[in-house]
Amino acid sequence: MIEEVIIFGTVQGALLALLALGFSLVYGVGGVLNLAHGAFYLITAYIIFWTIPLFGFTVSAIVGLIAVMGIAAFTSLALIKPLQDTHIGVVLVTFALAFFFEQFVKYFGDPLYHYIAPWVPGFITLLGINLQAQLLALVIGSIALVIVVTLFINKTKIGKSIRAVSQDAEAASLVGINTDLVLMTSLVLSALLVGFAVIFYAPGNYIAPHIGWRYLLLAFSVTIFGGMGSIPGSIVGAFIMGYATTFTDYFPMLGPEYSQLIPIVVILVMLLIRPQGLLGKEEVQ
Amino acid sequence: MTLLLEVKNLTKKFGGLTAVNDVNFEIERGEILGLIGPNGAGKTTLFHLISGFEKANSGTVRFDGIDITGLKPYQIVNLGMARTFQLVRSFRFLNLLDNVAVAILSARGKAAFGEIGIDEAASTILSEVGLVDKARVPPVILPHGDLRRLEIGKALGTNPEMLLLDEPFSGLVHEEKEKITQLINRLRTEGVTIFVTGHVLRELMTLVPRVIAMHHGRLIAEGPPKEVANNRIVLEAYLGRGEEFA
Amino acid sequence: MMRLQLDLRSFFERFKIWAVSFRGSITLIALAGLSLFPPITRSVYWTQILISAMIFAIFAASWDLLAGYAGQVSFGHSVFFGAAGYVTAALVRYLGVNWILSLIAGAFAAVLFSLLIGIPCLRLKGPYLALGTLAFSLILLSLFYMGPPWSDILGGSEGISGLPVPPNIFVAFYLVLGFMIISLFGMHAIVESRLGTLLKAIRDDETCADASGINTTVYKLIAFMLSGFFAGIAGSLFVLQQTAVNPAYFQPLYSFYAIIMASIGGIATIFGSIAGSFIFWILSEFLRPLAAAALLIFATLLILIVRFAEEGVMNPVMERIQEYWDKFRGM
Ligand SMILES: Nc1ncnc2c1ncn2[C@@H]1O[C@H](COP(=O)(O)OP(=O)(O)OP(=O)(O)O)[C@@H](O)[C@H]1O
Ligand SMILES: [Mg+2]
Repeated sequence: MIEEVIIFGTVQGALLALLALGFSLVYGVGGVLNLAHGAFYLITAYIIFWTIPLFGFTVSAIVGLIAVMGIAAFTSLALIKPLQDTHIGVVLVTFALAFFFEQFVKYFGDPLYHYIAPWVPGFITLLGINLQAQLLALVIGSIALVIVVTLFINKTKIGKSIRAVSQDAEAASLVGINTDLVLMTSLVLSALLVGFAVIFYAPGNYIAPHIGWRYLLLAFSVTIFGGMGSIPGSIVGAFIMGYATTFTDYFPMLGPEYSQLIPIVVILVMLLIRPQGLLGKEEVQ
Repeated sequence: MTLLLEVKNLTKKFGGLTAVNDVNFEIERGEILGLIGPNGAGKTTLFHLISGFEKANSGTVRFDGIDITGLKPYQIVNLGMARTFQLVRSFRFLNLLDNVAVAILSARGKAAFGEIGIDEAASTILSEVGLVDKARVPPVILPHGDLRRLEIGKALGTNPEMLLLDEPFSGLVHEEKEKITQLINRLRTEGVTIFVTGHVLRELMTLVPRVIAMHHGRLIAEGPPKEVANNRIVLEAYLGRGEEFA
Repeated sequence: MMRLQLDLRSFFERFKIWAVSFRGSITLIALAGLSLFPPITRSVYWTQILISAMIFAIFAASWDLLAGYAGQVSFGHSVFFGAAGYVTAALVRYLGVNWILSLIAGAFAAVLFSLLIGIPCLRLKGPYLALGTLAFSLILLSLFYMGPPWSDILGGSEGISGLPVPPNIFVAFYLVLGFMIISLFGMHAIVESRLGTLLKAIRDDETCADASGINTTVYKLIAFMLSGFFAGIAGSLFVLQQTAVNPAYFQPLYSFYAIIMASIGGIATIFGSIAGSFIFWILSEFLRPLAAAALLIFATLLILIVRFAEEGVMNPVMERIQEYWDKFRGM
């Protein structure tokens, strides 16, 4: 069992890191909780699914990435920015947007489950465990992306602005940082990460119009666990959660049905004992 | 006279910055004490610590013999210590009467005013702070001076034994300052203990017999306003920041 | 401390003033018109639709009570709806309890869930709270979809069906009308009471309420419980009307229903929810040829309302009508 937990826990953690990193980043920058985060996953997956017959996987994946980044930029400029001083407005509008995408794929597609074939075919054996090669690609891709994003935030000018804004938005705008641009950049970045999560994880899995909510819940629970707005927190949190859910999957008497409950247990426990999260700053509110 | 407020070794750190650094002082019942200090001295933070809006890293606050360190703000209010905010706060969509009524609906407010009736008590308080003719308007359309007096009115709704006033004069023109001064003096004669901050000593000169001065989170001087005004360390604290002082 | 300060006499005074005011008159006239609908049209089909609309008016108003008045935006309102629905269905179907007792039990089950959600989630503010409540509903959704052994207790994806059909649809109409009127007037009385003043104060500025000596946590919990109670009544009524319940009731979709209806009617109005719900249901009927697109259209509508018409669609319209009304009364 231990081998399974190590292998599949790493896979799960890699997926969660891609989902949570951007979600947490956006929160840190603008205090924006993007309820359409899971819907970004949904719409990217469907764009890819719909366009594969036309272009093949590679081109479709690029189309999907560009589309979701465009959607994120539009969301930031047209919906979030004008409503930003009422945080309730932002959650309402992103909730409605999440809904919009769910209904959109239902209307232009159908309410059924669909399968996307893996683009890395075959299986490999690690620690005596058979693993879809696609999932190995996920782990490698995720680690690479996390490194790239960390470098981006620490080294580039706009990345440093993102950090400055998330530490103190007021001070940052006083020294002339364009906070709107920073918010848009981080939202687009989070969409890009979600897009890659789709590229690595959706092939070999089923998609359906309601899956967005599940990915939102995962991102949220990891972020609550790791600490809202904390980038290291969301990465560490992702892997801990990954191992925990996989452990539950393989634990005798429990099973996948119970591991679904892990997010809420994590959310509840964290809210009760340490609302600022594992690595979060003290004053969350 | 008896001790009402006793602050011991109070310290608050924000990351690397020590906003309040090992502060000790006492206030007698019925006294009016002033607190001055340049921008960023830590006055507001000290108020937050005493009234429970921030948690101290160390130190204790005793009020009326009770250790109130770590209590929630509403609990402290219900023990008899109310406060106002430097940046005025009010309930935007409630009229002035209801703004004050909220405070009267607190446990302590109800105990004190419950028998008169909430609306009547709120009206009385509004007339005390000179706003009764505006009882039915929402605070958003009020000028700044009225909002400052509304703040005091809301605090009075909780029937406080002690009032913490955070820069009640800031941003006001002369006549408005006069009104607030009169109000504070009247409250004092009613026996309310008052702790009031000011940015510049001039505002507090005639109001308080004793002030404490703060700089970089530390208390640097204490005494009658005239003495503190001539204190070298205090002068330097202000001069060092190129700020107007007296 | 938790005594609801509902002074009855001043309540009737206020009711009189409200009844002759513009909004009061409109509401009363609309309710009177509604009560005449079944005998005039004798349409079973439309009566069914209006019953649903009335049930959802209660549901939307309960969301408005919590979000619009107490400032606690919940995306997990479907939890109250579904939990009450399940309890009512189980009591009626398996224990043969009569419908009214089952309905009351359902409403109290929803109150229980409101505490279950409220206590951990109230450590959160604003957007966190919204997401926390959403998470809750998603978990219940998957819990109720779970297979054995859970499905033996919770009914699995089939839920509970085969509840007795209400014997007479027109009687049902008037019963639901009664529930709607009592619930909405109840909620209206709450927001106009002293308790309502405190809730609005917490919504406007929680720190300031704290500084006024108000235990905000307790009052927010009370708001959650009251809102849960009325949402529960709606959930139970809907299950009795549908004669079945299934896990889909926990979907974010149902929370979305409450939010869009309250938003159409205007947030922080309570009675606006009636307009919002009726517009939603009647529009859905006319959009029936586009059935699949209806929700897409409503989602777009909600985005537009939140973005461009914070006051809801109805408020500006009502203000315009009010001008004419005032002119008319002035003559
Ligand atoms: N929540 C906080 N996080 C970080 N630093 C803070 C916080 N609150 C206050 N500070 C810092 O603590 C120091 C003291 O601030 P405080 O507001 O108490 O000063 P003050 O004496 O009230 O100044 P002013 O005259 O401007 O009102 C300042 O340097 C301020 O930047
Ligand atoms: Mg200050």
